Amino acid sequence: MTPDNPKPIIVARNVSKHFGAFRALNDVSATFNEGQVTAIIGPSGSGKSTFLRTLNRLEAHDSGSIQVDGIELNDNLKNLDAIRREVGMVFQSFNLFSHLPILRNVSLAPIRVRKMKREEAEAKSMALLERVGLKDQAHKYPVQLSGGQQQRVAIARALAMDPKVLLFDEPTSALDPEMVNEVLTVMRELAHTGITMLVVTHEMGFAREVADRLIFFDQGSILEDSAPQTFFTNPEHERAKAFLAQVRHGF
Amino acid sequence: MNWTKQHPAWAMFAAMIGLLVFLWGLAIPLSLAPAPIGPAAQQFAEGARVTVLLTLISGTVGVVLGVLAGLGKLSSFRLIRWVCDFYVWLIRGTPLLLQILFVWLAVPQFLPDSMQLSDFSCAAIALALNIGAYNTECVRAGILAVPQGQVEAARALGLSPFQCFMDIVLPQSMRVALPALANNLASLVKDSSLAYAISVVELTMVGYRVQAESYQPIPVFVTVAVIYLILTTAFTTLTAALETQLDVGRKR
Ligand SMILES: Nc1ncnc2c1ncn2[C@@H]1O[C@H](COP(=O)(O)OP(=O)(O)OP(=O)(O)O)[C@@H](O)[C@H]1O
Ligand SMILES: [Mg+2]
Repeated sequence: MTPDNPKPIIVARNVSKHFGAFRALNDVSATFNEGQVTAIIGPSGSGKSTFLRTLNRLEAHDSGSIQVDGIELNDNLKNLDAIRREVGMVFQSFNLFSHLPILRNVSLAPIRVRKMKREEAEAKSMALLERVGLKDQAHKYPVQLSGGQQQRVAIARALAMDPKVLLFDEPTSALDPEMVNEVLTVMRELAHTGITMLVVTHEMGFAREVADRLIFFDQGSILEDSAPQTFFTNPEHERAKAFLAQVRHGF
Repeated sequence: MNWTKQHPAWAMFAAMIGLLVFLWGLAIPLSLAPAPIGPAAQQFAEGARVTVLLTLISGTVGVVLGVLAGLGKLSSFRLIRWVCDFYVWLIRGTPLLLQILFVWLAVPQFLPDSMQLSDFSCAAIALALNIGAYNTECVRAGILAVPQGQVEAARALGLSPFQCFMDIVLPQSMRVALPALANNLASLVKDSSLAYAISVVELTMVGYRVQAESYQPIPVFVTVAVIYLILTTAFTTLTAALETQLDVGRKR
């Protein structure tokens, strides 16, 4: 999947983030290449969400630097706009716009941000909804859909902006077990399209099978960064071993 | 109210047309009534029109004020927050009649002679400022009720703060704030009667004049009360329909 001459798309150097006196991210450095699918795992409170959210500045980092596709992420609003166009995000709790029909949820950003014509944006949104298997739900409202369907809409909504990078923050954690697979299926298909994906997840099966790379967070730092196979069979650190043991024996 | 729930758009349309027909046609049935109502039919109709106009103008400006001040109260700039808090505190802590008199008597002193306000404008300004302060709290509560996750999703998609406000926050906060705003508007229909104090010839003033000429307060004030009831009912229907229309996304 990863091309032979990898091109870095996200470069994070020594990123730190505090909430008050609490240090949520501790000198995190990582480079993500175009087309790479990275699974991010780690115990609760280890900073996984915070890291993901600094990458599109839903949280501002206090030190270090982040570059996305060569653009520096800082207080410059032009840069921020440019980066947000390239980075899509899918949230644990879907966050669909509850007052808008499904089709409008997907087509809003292309119309507003990309200044696409309405008909064009809706045709594109329809195609995306078809791709996630929800074409016939286009005119319903979010509350009328199941959790799994809502999350698939959220993925379509992010894709409508043609992002180069998709960030997923525990996309299946809020779902009933029987709905997890329909979302993972969509994500699996996406992973083969060459889009760069960073996926915070508790789905070890998915991480092992789909990801090219696995990052283990602990206490605001990246503790392990390896191929999934290596991590699952032979983790380096005690903390990672303990984490895996806990996950294997179920929560 | 079941019918308004099933056909919100039609109910809105019907209430609006009904209101207009009622206003322009009011003089005809009233003129058939015996004295003292019949001879004063034109006056009643004119008074009702002034009341509705006053309500619509100050009600609309009041919603805009409420949205601005409601946003201002949530602003990250302390000065803006302070100004909005002061506005709400001032208006809610003083009588409406005093506010109307103040705009009528005191404000002209600040204006050049060439730019004097009509009595009607003074009443409209005072009522708009008044209802705006009450709307502020409703709007603020509405904005706070919009899930933060949706705002984040909109920002992550690249919408600007302004687009995010107009497309995501405002419609949803209005849905929450609407019942309270509608309540304020219905009160405004009645509160506009205080404009009589600065000689605006609205419905209550008409009633007062007609009974003073005829010495028959009971039929006159019953007529005035019935007209107010019809107006408040029309406004309530209008807002109930608007509310159901905005509510679609929430039903299961
Ligand atoms: N807005 C905030 N204000 C204060 N503290 C915060 C805030 N957001 C996160 N934190 C703290 O930062 C730490 C890291 O949080 P983060 O959400 O990144 O963890 P996580 O790895 O995603 O955990 P989980 O698996 O539970 O989602 C936690 O201790 C959390 O309490
Ligand atoms: Mg998290």
